[in-house]
Amino acid sequence: MNDGPALVSILRQGDTLVASVHTALDDSEMVRFQEDLVRQIGEHRARGVIIDVAALDVLDSFGSRTLRTIAEMARLRGALTVIVGIQPAVAYAMVRLGTGPGEVPTALDLEEGLAHLARARDPGGGGSVR
Amino acid sequence: MQVLGLASSLVDDTVLDGSRHHRRTSGTPVDGTAVADLEPMLRRIVVARLGDHPAAEDLVQETLVRVLDARDRIEPRMLEPYAIATVRNVMATMWRAEGREERNRHRAHDPGVPDPADAHLLEEEERLALRTAVGRLDRDERAALVAHDVDGQDTRSLAEEAGSTAGAVAARLSRTRARLRVEYLLALEQVEPPTERCRSVLLAVSAADRRRQRELGAAQHLLECEDCGRLSVPLLRRAPARDDETRVAISADPDIVTARRAARAVAARAGLTGADLTLVATAVSEVARNIVRFAVQGEVVIELLDGPRPGVRIVARDAGPGIADLEQAQRDGYSTCAGLGLGLPGARRLMDDFDIVSTPGQGTTVSMTKWIPRRT
Ligand SMILES: [Zn+2]
Repeated sequence: MNDGPALVSILRQGDTLVASVHTALDDSEMVRFQEDLVRQIGEHRARGVIIDVAALDVLDSFGSRTLRTIAEMARLRGALTVIVGIQPAVAYAMVRLGTGPGEVPTALDLEEGLAHLARARDPGGGGSVR
Repeated sequence: MQVLGLASSLVDDTVLDGSRHHRRTSGTPVDGTAVADLEPMLRRIVVARLGDHPAAEDLVQETLVRVLDARDRIEPRMLEPYAIATVRNVMATMWRAEGREERNRHRAHDPGVPDPADAHLLEEEERLALRTAVGRLDRDERAALVAHDVDGQDTRSLAEEAGSTAGAVAARLSRTRARLRVEYLLALEQVEPPTERCRSVLLAVSAADRRRQRELGAAQHLLECEDCGRLSVPLLRRAPARDDETRVAISADPDIVTARRAARAVAARAGLTGADLTLVATAVSEVARNIVRFAVQGEVVIELLDGPRPGVRIVARDAGPGIADLEQAQRDGYSTCAGLGLGLPGARRLMDDFDIVSTPGQGTTVSMTKWIPRRT
């Protein structure tokens, strides 16, 4: 995204993009992340997006809203988003704060997230979406 | 003359913002990365004043170099205020130099050669400032100070002469020194404080009198008043550092992250654990964002509380436009209406105590506390 160690990495795995946030992002970095990710969804014609936030020690109202926005924009472009790795303390703070991922599906970790996407794409293959 | 003799004992490294007298501060030194991180903030300040003046970038770099040079003697928490004061000084020096050049244009003067008279002039200015400052003290104050600091008379014999106690004399001397430092700075910078409150605030800062600072709303004043903001830097640097208080200047997005990290660190030191640390960090994030979005700049102060119960208090303060309808701002729906959101209702839910004072046109102060759960 800029010079220095990457704050975020976005990797492609088939038609799924896996975006990992490596460190606390400030608001402008969060917005850049949103723009990058949404652009890549279009470029790679991705059908699924996983956002791994395990490294985040805070998801405040702005962070939560940005994640919801990304998921909504991805949905409009035909991709399903799953947020994975929300830390227990972060989840607790989100509940108290009254923000949260909203309608965006979440999963415990990357593996579960991928499984969730697979089920959503092939509902007959086992389990139901959400 | 005696006044000059006072210079070494009173001024030493504590008042002069120059580079001649330094005392290393104890504690963690500021590292170079922290100084480099100041660059975007400094550039904003310079651009705000100078626009696209050709010297703007040079001034930023010069400031960084100066701060880097001084970092051994700056408390980490004072790094930003110090940098802000330095950049203001650097800009002021440039204006002065440009003015001088203008005045000297008719003389044959090579600007490449530094004028040895300049250094001499500077010392002369300092001497004059000190003389002016001493002149502004009461006669009694001045007499006691000279007797003690110049003639070496001890507090006990001074007390006997005055029919007082040694403790009272010592306290009075220390107040006099605090006043002298303030008057010296005012005289040196040739500033007449813009408001009636200025002198009292500077005096309370100089004397490190925290009760008086609170009574006067000193912290708020330092944000609002450019003169006092600048003058307080050398005064604050002198005051003993408090390890139970952390201050983060807030003026841009990255400061929000800095503030919440600092809050987490202080809260952990206070004994908070687990999810409570995240609650505090998240609440700080919300109130710091309010400052960046609505007030442009301010500060977040994180302090440890001993009593009545142990806890962590966060004070987020700005000199911004204020909030006209506090009640509405604290209601939940408001956030969504305002687009970016005020984050206040959320922060309130994360902390144990929450209090907000806002005056339109003057600024907003949010105080919130997390108590440390008693362990059984
Ligand atoms: Zn003032």
